[in-house]
Amino acid sequence: MPTEILDIAVFTTLAALVATVVMLPPGIGLAWVLARHQFRGKAIVETLASLPLVMPPVATGLMLLWLVGRRGPVGRALAPFGIEIVFTPAAVVLAMAIMGLPLLVRTARAGFEQVTKRYEQMAETLGARPWRVFTTVTLPLASRNILAGALLGFTRALGEFGATIVVAGSIPGRTRTLAVGIYTYTETGQDARAASLLAVSVTLAFGAALIANRLARVD
Amino acid sequence: MLRWWATFALVIATVVPLPAQRPEVLVSAAASLADVMGTIARIYEMRTGTRVVVNTGASNTLARQIAAGAAVDLFISADEAQMGTVRDEVVANTTVDLLSNQLAVVVPADRPRTLRSVRELTDAAFRRVAIGDPAAVPAGVYAKAYLQQLGIWPAVSGKIVPTASVRLALAAVENGAADAAIVYRTDLDAAHRTSLALAIPLAEGPRIIYPAAVIRSGRNREGATRLLAWLRGTEAAGIFKGAGFIPLGQ
Amino acid sequence: MADAATRMPPQFELRFLMTQGAFTVAADLEIAARAIALFGPSGSGKTTILEVIAGLRSPKHGRITVCGRILCDTETHTNVPVRDRHVGYVPQDVLLFPHLDVRRNVTYAQPRRRHIDMPDLDQLLGLTTLMDRKVSGLSGGERQRVALARALYSGPDVLLLDEPLAAVDLARRRLILDTLVAIRDELRVPLVYVTHSPEEARAIADYAIVLDEGNVIAAGVPDDVLP
Repeated sequence: MPTEILDIAVFTTLAALVATVVMLPPGIGLAWVLARHQFRGKAIVETLASLPLVMPPVATGLMLLWLVGRRGPVGRALAPFGIEIVFTPAAVVLAMAIMGLPLLVRTARAGFEQVTKRYEQMAETLGARPWRVFTTVTLPLASRNILAGALLGFTRALGEFGATIVVAGSIPGRTRTLAVGIYTYTETGQDARAASLLAVSVTLAFGAALIANRLARVD
Repeated sequence: MLRWWATFALVIATVVPLPAQRPEVLVSAAASLADVMGTIARIYEMRTGTRVVVNTGASNTLARQIAAGAAVDLFISADEAQMGTVRDEVVANTTVDLLSNQLAVVVPADRPRTLRSVRELTDAAFRRVAIGDPAAVPAGVYAKAYLQQLGIWPAVSGKIVPTASVRLALAAVENGAADAAIVYRTDLDAAHRTSLALAIPLAEGPRIIYPAAVIRSGRNREGATRLLAWLRGTEAAGIFKGAGFIPLGQ
Repeated sequence: MADAATRMPPQFELRFLMTQGAFTVAADLEIAARAIALFGPSGSGKTTILEVIAGLRSPKHGRITVCGRILCDTETHTNVPVRDRHVGYVPQDVLLFPHLDVRRNVTYAQPRRRHIDMPDLDQLLGLTTLMDRKVSGLSGGERQRVALARALYSGPDVLLLDEPLAAVDLARRRLILDTLVAIRDELRVPLVYVTHSPEEARAIADYAIVLDEGNVIAAGVPDDVLP
C-alpha cells in the first residue's frame, strides 16, 4: 500500500482514538448527571447534547469554526499562547469528538439508568464517599454500556466528514482523514486513490463492528 | 495508571498543534486547483526551500474559514464573488487575477458528438444539462452567465440540473442522468467516460477569473507575497498551462 | 465504673413524622435496648423506619438518636449524611454487589476506629470457604451471612436488619438466629430487627414496636405487646 494511503489510515485511526478518549470524561459525566439528577434547564441541556446528532454536520462544523477560529471566543483566548486549532490535527480530533459525543452520552445514560440507585445507597451506608461510590459501584455496573457507547463514538469519529472538512480543511499530511480524502480525491478525479481509501475505510469499519459484536457477546 | 497517562499524553502530543517550526506558506486553493497546486508546491519547495501547505475545498467553504480568522497566507478562489466576500481579510493591493479557464461542454463518451455552438443545447436531443449549482459553484455561475449572455437561458433553464459540485455534474453525464454538462476545460481530467463536445473559445466565453490575494491573518505575509510573485512568473505559468489553465501573467 | 457504662443498654430516640404521598409513618419513642424488633404486617412502615434511621429517607419533622448520637434533628437542621451514620444495613434483598466477589463485598467498607476483625467475623459467620466465590452462586443463607459480614466489617453503631430470615431455608434459620444473638451479645452490636414473625421477635429482641399502617400501636417488652 502506498505510504500516503497508509499515513492517512493511521492518522485517521489515531485521531479517532484520541477523540474517543477525549469525549469519555465529559460524556460519562454528562450521562451520569442526566441519568441521576433533576434540575431546572435539564431539557435544554439534553437538547444541546443531542444537537450534533440532529444538525447537518456541516452546520456543526460552521459553529465549531466560529467558536475556535481566531475571531471566536475560544480561539481568541488561545491565540496569545500561540495555540491555533483551525487547520490542525486538533481540529480533526475536535470535530470527531463533538460528533461522537451525543452517541456516547445516550448509550452511557441508558447504562446508568439501568444501575439501580439502591446499590449506590448500599455503598453509602458502608461509608463510601460520592467519588468512591461512582468509581467502585456505578461505573463498573454501567461499564458494558459505556464501552458500547465509546465504540459507537469511535466508529462515528472514523467516518466523520462534514464538520471536519469545515473546521480542519483538507490538508494532505496534516488534516486529511479517510473520509475527507475520499471526497477530495473523488472531486479531483483521482479515482484510484479514492478507491484505495474507500477500501481501507470499509475494512476499518468492518473491524470495529466485529469487535463491538464480540464485546456484546462476552456477557 | 501512570503508564496509561504517559501513553495518552504521548498520543495527544502527536495530534495537538504546535507553532510551526519551518517557514511555510498556507494556501487555501479552490478544489479545481488541487492537483496542479500539488505540483506547484513540490517545485516551489525545491526551488526556495519554503514549504507550501495547500488546503483545498469549495471556494465558499474556504472563504468562510478565512472569514472566521483562519491563518491562511494566500487565497486562490475560483471566482471573484467568493474573493469579494473576504474583502475585509485581504491585504490591500495584493489581489491579482491569477488564472483563467475555459468553459467546455461534455457529452457521454459512448455518444460522442461535436457542437459548433452552445446554442445547440436548446435542441430537443438534450433533455437534461448538468451544471454546478449557479448559486454556489463558480463553474456553474460562469455557465449560467454565459447562457444568459447568449440569450438562451430562458430556453434551457427548464433542462438545467444544478449539481452540488462539478464532479457531480460530470458524474451525471457519465451515468446517463444528463445528456450534457457545462464544466471547466480543466475538469475533463476528472472525467473518464465523457468526451469533449465543445471548448468555448476564450473570446466568446465569459471572463473566468481565479483571483489570488494575500490574507491579513496569515502568519507568513512575506512568504505569501513571494509565492504570489512566483506564481505569476514564467515557470509557474508553464506548470499551469500544462494542467490546462490559462495563466494571466504580469 | 467503665464496666457499668458498657453494661447499660444502648439508647435510641425515634421521634419523627415521615410522609410520602398518602403514606405516613410516625413514631415517638425513647428506648434503651440491645435489640429492637419492628413487628407488623406488610406495608405497616417497618422498612420505612429502617430507612429513616439509615438516612435513606428524611422525615419532615423529627429527631433520630442512635446510641446517644444525633443522626437527624429537623429543629436544628441537623442531618448526618448516610455515609457518616455508621449504620450496618442489610435490606430484604440483601444487595450484594454483583460485580465484586465475596471478599471484596465483605471488605468494601473502609474500617473505622472500632472495627470488627476478620478472624472474629470468620469465626462467627464461617466465611473462609466463601471468600473467593462469586456472589451469583451463593445460596440464600450464604448471601445473608456475607451481607452480615459486610455490614459488620465497618464497625457500625447499629445493625439494621430487614427480615433477615425470609430468604433462608428453614433448616438454617436457627443457625442464623444464633449468629445474630452472638452479634448482639458477644460483639455488642445493637440490632434493629424487622419481622412479621412473633417468635423471631421474642427470640432476639428485648424491646418490640408494633406497627399498623404507619402508626405505633404498641411498644414495650415483647411478651407484653406481641401476639
